[in-house]
Amino acid sequence: MRLLPYAAVVVLLCASATIAQTPDLAQRQAEAAAALAERQEEETVLAEGEGRSEVFGYCTACHNTALIRRSAFTRERWDELMDWMAEKHGMNPLEGEFRDTIVDYLARHYGPLTRGPRGGNPFLN
Amino acid sequence: MAHQNPSERSVQELYRDDPERADALVWGRRGALQGAALAAMGAALGGSIPFARNMPSGLVPAALAQGANQPQFLQMEGKAPLILQGERPLNAETPEHLLDDPVTPADKFFIRNNGSVPDTVADARAWKIRIDGEVNTPLELTIAELEQRFEIVTRKLQMECGGNGRSGFSPQAAGNQWGNGAISNAEWTGVRLHDVLRAAGVKDGAKFTGQHGADSHLSAQGPAISRGMRIEKAMDEDTLICFRMNGAAIPQMHGAPARLVVPGWPGSLSQKWFTRLEVLNKPHTGRGMGGTSYRIPVRPIVPGSRNNGADFVDMESMPVRSVLSSHAHGTRLPAGTRSLDIRGHAWAGDLSVRDVHVSTDFGQSWQAMQVAAPPNRHAWQRWQGRIALPSDGYYEIWYRATDSNGRMQPHVAANWNPQGYGANPISRVAILIG
Ligand code: HEC
Repeated sequence: MRLLPYAAVVVLLCASATIAQTPDLAQRQAEAAAALAERQEEETVLAEGEGRSEVFGYCTACHNTALIRRSAFTRERWDELMDWMAEKHGMNPLEGEFRDTIVDYLARHYGPLTRGPRGGNPFLN
Repeated sequence: MAHQNPSERSVQELYRDDPERADALVWGRRGALQGAALAAMGAALGGSIPFARNMPSGLVPAALAQGANQPQFLQMEGKAPLILQGERPLNAETPEHLLDDPVTPADKFFIRNNGSVPDTVADARAWKIRIDGEVNTPLELTIAELEQRFEIVTRKLQMECGGNGRSGFSPQAAGNQWGNGAISNAEWTGVRLHDVLRAAGVKDGAKFTGQHGADSHLSAQGPAISRGMRIEKAMDEDTLICFRMNGAAIPQMHGAPARLVVPGWPGSLSQKWFTRLEVLNKPHTGRGMGGTSYRIPVRPIVPGSRNNGADFVDMESMPVRSVLSSHAHGTRLPAGTRSLDIRGHAWAGDLSVRDVHVSTDFGQSWQAMQVAAPPNRHAWQRWQGRIALPSDGYYEIWYRATDSNGRMQPHVAANWNPQGYGANPISRVAILIG
C-alpha cells in the first residue's frame, strides 16, 4: 500500500518522459526506416542463373529483393504479377524476349517448392 | 537418394529438403507414423510424440514447419524484435508471444507500409485534414480544431492487416507472408468520423468514402495507397480520426500525427498519415481498390488459378482469429510438467468471439477455454485456461476461436485468392516437455 503514491509518481515521470521524447524518437524512427529502405543489396542475394542481372536491375527500382526471395510461384503466376505491377504500380510493361528472360528466371529459381506426391491440384493444367 | 529408406536419414533433414515428399515417405497410409520412422521423428524433435497416433496425415509437425529460411528480426529503437518481412517497403510482424498485453504497446505494434515512411512534421497540431466530395460543407480542420470542436473518445480497437494469416494459403499467395501477428489492439484517442461527417453534411445518395494519406508510392510517383469503404462503416461509432495512441502521440511508424482507425476491417482502410476523406456516390477507385486487391471470391476459385478479381467482392469485416500469447512456439518445459496455464487473445472483425477451444491431441478432442467479454466493441478478447499434459514429450497446442455467429476457424485456409486475403486457419504452437 505504501508503495502506491511512489508508483504513481514513477508512472507520471515515465509518462512525461515518454511524451517529451516522442518528437526525437519519431525523427529517429523515420531516419531508421529510410536507412533500411536505402540499404544496398548485392545481386548475389538472388539465386545464381541466367537472367539474374536483368531481374536484379529491373526489379529493385521500387522495392528490394525480399519480396522476390520470399515468393514461390508458378510461371503463370509470375507472368500475371508482371501485369499487376505494370497496371497497378506503374512498372514499365515488360514485353517480348526480355519478359521471357525475367519470367523464366523467376519461375526457375522462385517456383513452387514442390507439387507434392499427388502432383498438385487436379484442376490445374 | 530416392531409394533411401526414410529411417536412414534424419527426419528433420528430409523435411528440410522436401517436406511433401518426406511427409509421403514418413507417414503411413492411415495417418500414423510407423516404427522406425516414428522413433526418427521423435529423435529429430528431441523427444517422443505422445499423441503421434492421432496426427493427421499430410500435416507437418508444427516444430518442423518453419521453412528453410530462418526469420530475420527488425532492429529499431522503440520497436521490439519483430519478424522482418521486408525492408523496402518496411514490413514487420509481431511474434504471437509478444501479443500478451491486453493493450498493445507501441513497440509491439506490427508494421505494414505500402510505400515510404514520410518525414516527421514539426507542428502536429497544425496538421490539416480535409473532408470533401458529396458533402454540403467541405471542411478543412487542424488536429487542434478537431479536438476543440468534437467529442473526444478513447477506445481499445483491434487493427489487423487484411492479409494477416496469408502464409496459411497453399499454393502461396502474393504479398507479405504473415503468420497471425499482423494484429494489434491499442488504445486509440480521437474524434468520431461520424461526428465530423455530420458537421460536413453528407448528401443524399452518398454511399462510399475514399481516404488519402501523405505516404508516397515506392516508385515515388503518387500516393502509396488510397482505399475506401461503405458509408455505413464510416458512420460506425468506433470509426475514429485519431491523434493519440496509448495516451501518447501516435508513433511515426503508425501514422503520426493523425490516423483514421477503422476497426475490424482490413487495416489498409485505417489510413496512416491521414490527410483527406472524400465522400463519394460510387465506389472509390484509388490505388488498392478493385481487381484482386483486398477482394475475395464469392464463388470459390481453384487454388492457384488465374483470376482478375472482376467478380470478387471487397473484403469488409475480418474473419475470426486467435493468438496464443503465453508461450512462444518452441517453448521447452521441465520434465514432469503435467499441466499448463495458457492464454491469448481472440477477435472477429465487427463480431465478437463466443468460444475458444484448445486441443493437445492433434484435434481429436477439444477443450473449452474461458473467454472474457471485450472491454468495448471492436476490442479483442482475452481467453485462458489450463491444459493437461499426460506425459513428457512433444506436444502441439492447437487453438481455435468461434465467432458470435457460430463460425469457427477452419482446419486449413479457405477461399484461396491470388493476393491472399482471409486465411484464418487453426494455429499450432509446438512445446516440448523434458
Ligand atoms: C514501378 C515499381 C515496381 C517495379 C519496377 C517492380 N515492382 Fe514489384 N511491386 C511493386 C509494388 C508497389 C508492390 C506492392 C508492395 C507492397 O504492397 O508491399 C510490388 C510487389 C511485388 C511482389 C509481391 C506481390 C504482392 O502482392 O505484394 C513481388 C513478388 C514483386 N513485386 C516482384 C517484382 C519483380 C520480379 C519485379 C521485376 C520484374 C518487380 N516486382 C518490379 C512495385 C514495383
